[in-house]
Amino acid sequence: MKCKRCGELAAVKLPSHHAGFCPSCFEGFFKKQVETAVRRHGMIGRDEKVLVAVSGGKDSLALMRVLTDLGHVVEGLHVHLGIPDSSDPVAERTRAFCAANGLTLHVLHTAEHGLAVPDVKDAVRRPVCAVCGKIKRHYFNRFAYENGFAALATGHNLDDETARLFANVLRWDPAYLGTQGPTLPGEGKFVRKIKPLYRLTEFETAAYCFLKGIDHWKAACPYSGGASFTGHKKLIADLEDRSPGQKTAFYEAFLAQGRPHFAGASRGEGQDTLYACAQCGFPSSGEVCGVCRVREQVAAHKARREAV
Amino acid sequence: MITVTIDGKNQPTTYPKIKTVLQLLNNLHLRVNDALIIRDGELLTPDRHLWPGDHVTVRMVVSRG
Repeated sequence: MKCKRCGELAAVKLPSHHAGFCPSCFEGFFKKQVETAVRRHGMIGRDEKVLVAVSGGKDSLALMRVLTDLGHVVEGLHVHLGIPDSSDPVAERTRAFCAANGLTLHVLHTAEHGLAVPDVKDAVRRPVCAVCGKIKRHYFNRFAYENGFAALATGHNLDDETARLFANVLRWDPAYLGTQGPTLPGEGKFVRKIKPLYRLTEFETAAYCFLKGIDHWKAACPYSGGASFTGHKKLIADLEDRSPGQKTAFYEAFLAQGRPHFAGASRGEGQDTLYACAQCGFPSSGEVCGVCRVREQVAAHKARREAV
Repeated sequence: MITVTIDGKNQPTTYPKIKTVLQLLNNLHLRVNDALIIRDGELLTPDRHLWPGDHVTVRMVVSRG
């Protein structure tokens, strides 16, 4: 197979674009997709500082690298979850990547905020992944807000976004459908959330990392029973395999024709008004936000254990 | 004989009759964009030939949480 652009031997085949690319032209394609996403959805203004949520996986490291290569001012935040045999090596790998690429990385330890994830897992009765996600979203937003970042960028890709859209459609969840998209505007203490990789698939970010020599973390979280939406991703991948381009068509058509119908949809009675959390001051639908409530649960659980 | 290592699994597997990347993907029940196929530090498209003695790495691309 030949590269669609230069005619050299292709390294990557992309059926959804009816194209193959050599390593050099693939990098150009990848950057172009990110550039288009940023421009079309007003993700980053001139000279704005962007915080990248860095897990250490392929998507977040690719995102940090490509935004930097496109000339944006980015810094990374890695949230260290305190999980034995996992969090330390992931943080170390992430630090090494940033040091090698001259990128600024901040590391926030949830244990220093009373929220080491193993303690959270012991204290809560809900699935720990949901609570861990809530904690990470809180601290990414909070760090971005308190340190003057204009936007928070996450490594969500086209597969993540179509799987999430599919799940929201299956439930016909109007509030989620009304806010799903590559850019969520900032409001109050919520900074703007952006997903610059939304036009690229997991295969494309994995290929980009390989070709750029990005040594990302590959193992699954020991607490995860599998990534969220895995079943939905398989269904959509089957559709894409039979009819390349379906993923992009599904998502882009939703943005253009579906989402406007759900704009401003209510989250339910009493769920739309946000208050300042009595403990941390960040937006909450109740008197105390979900993260501060989890912190209280962890402290209470520890106290009970020590009393026994 | 092609030796195939799937990233994250210790034991390589050998395939005596596979001649192309596409045949390998089909044998592993993978779609074209489910995995990176790597030989000698190079990414291979599905139409590429595999030769006896080749050592190939299969790197799955789906996030595992």
